[in-house]
Amino acid sequence: MTFFTVVTRGLMRRPVRTGLTIVGIAIGIAAVVALVGISRGFETSWETGMKSRGTDIVVSSMRNALTPKPFNATVAERIAPLPHVAETCALLVDLISVEKADMMIVSARQWGGFSWKNLKIVSGRLPNDGAERAVVLGQTAAEVLGKKVGDTLQLETEDLAVVGTVDGGAVVENGSVILSLPLFQEITGNQDKINVIDLRVTPGTAKEELTRLCEQINGLVPEARAVIAGEHIRDSQAYRMISAMSWGTSLLAVLVGVLGVMNTMLMTVLERTQEICVLLAIGWTRSRIVRMILWESALLGFLGGVVGALIGVVGVKVLVTTPAIRGLLEPQLNPPLLVLAVAIAVVVGVISGLYPAWRSSRFTPSHALHG
Amino acid sequence: MTMPNGDSGWVFEASGLKKEYEDGQVQALRGVDFQIQQGEFIAIVGPSGSGKSTLLQMLGALDYPSAGTLKYRGDSLAHRTDLASYRAHEIGFIFQAFHLLPTFTALENVQIPMFETHRAASERKHRAIELLKAVGLETRLHHFPAKLSGGERQRVAIARSLANGASVLLADEPTGNLDSENAELILNLIVSLRREQKLTLILVTHDRGISSQAARIIEMKDGRIVSDAFNQAPT
Repeated sequence: MTFFTVVTRGLMRRPVRTGLTIVGIAIGIAAVVALVGISRGFETSWETGMKSRGTDIVVSSMRNALTPKPFNATVAERIAPLPHVAETCALLVDLISVEKADMMIVSARQWGGFSWKNLKIVSGRLPNDGAERAVVLGQTAAEVLGKKVGDTLQLETEDLAVVGTVDGGAVVENGSVILSLPLFQEITGNQDKINVIDLRVTPGTAKEELTRLCEQINGLVPEARAVIAGEHIRDSQAYRMISAMSWGTSLLAVLVGVLGVMNTMLMTVLERTQEICVLLAIGWTRSRIVRMILWESALLGFLGGVVGALIGVVGVKVLVTTPAIRGLLEPQLNPPLLVLAVAIAVVVGVISGLYPAWRSSRFTPSHALHG
Repeated sequence: MTMPNGDSGWVFEASGLKKEYEDGQVQALRGVDFQIQQGEFIAIVGPSGSGKSTLLQMLGALDYPSAGTLKYRGDSLAHRTDLASYRAHEIGFIFQAFHLLPTFTALENVQIPMFETHRAASERKHRAIELLKAVGLETRLHHFPAKLSGGERQRVAIARSLANGASVLLADEPTGNLDSENAELILNLIVSLRREQKLTLILVTHDRGISSQAARIIEMKDGRIVSDAFNQAPT
């Protein structure tokens, strides 16, 4: 028998209560894993989408919205002559309801721009020109919408021909409806408006020069903001708000877990008053009693963390298969996040055990002789 | 009375020992003096509230006296900073209600005090088995307390009290929760272990039949020792 045996037996005294406490922590930790994983996944999905399009700098106006605010298309022409700028591609990107999908990315791209070039045709073809009333669908978008080449897709009030399905190399790209910029501008009544400029720099441009170029663009076009690709989502106030809310909600759930563990440990200490006094009477030190209580609460936290991480992973995997979310993001449920979640649970356990442990350390061994 | 002081010296020396509770409203001990020699078998008797259990608590360092001095082997317990170590290594406690931990087997209960020693897990287990054999429980090693009779539980508690090689056994009504047959068996076991291991045994009891087996009987009343005498003919 080891000290760990003593710790586990303490928890096994009331298996139902221990189980319920573990579930309480697990819910909090599952919330951490799910919300933070989705939030980070949102960021990564867009970053990967940018990389697959070969974009080095994104010029947009994210501000408070999830999609950027439109600005005049001439901004692209003002940026193009700047040093290190190899190519620009103007886009009008929106998140809208498309037929049976509640929310889908519609990505309208400057016809002939480099953002078309990463698209690998899976079936059919790309539109013949910028004026053709046609769309191509990312593979996931085609699955979610139940469309194939030859079908018609209603976008706003227009019926457009589905001429191809494509593999864009990223979740965001594959979950998009892609069409030419002039066509979408016409459909949405946003003539001469764009909200994103993908910018590719000349080969060999250093990171410092990218930063300097962003500063130059920001000086030149105050209506938009240039950010190195991958950072533009983090730059969005809306994303930051979502991220903060994710952490806030998670911490609230974790706080509930803290109170649950504290309640359980306090009850267990009070129930075991005489047992603890007997341990003191037969020679256990107060520090060993404190360690026993803290190890018990840490173990509760650890078990809650492991169960919570599992629930979070499974929950998110199920969630991303739902039609409303499918193709929009790729949750980041990587080992560091899961380790962080379990570590948070253990810390929660230890913190929750501090007061009960302190209470237990104040018992006097003479109580062992009573009762 | 004058106490013999052998070569081994006094195990306990109490002088003017007092214990008060509730800001002096309750006086459990009102100035107690005695000396106890190594290997003695002493019964402390007296009615309820006479202070005998309080005195046992003082001897076991489970509580502090309000006044007076209590020395163990010449050193004042009040000056010791390692009272947990004193309780772990010098004293073995036997309680009336056994106080075994319900979620641990007999074998595990006996190992519990040994966490305060530096014995390896295998060594702890080996010693616990030997102790349980010594109290006749070799067939009950893996039984939980709920599956043991009262007498068996007290035997586990006796084995536990000897786990760290205590030289003093403090027993608080050790047969109080047992029927007369088991009470006799347990008392005989404690007495024979005392004899074999040359332990000092201090036993609190209401039972005149039990106290008559002790070599010395201390009688208490209202927090004072009213009689301290050698038993001329221990049974």
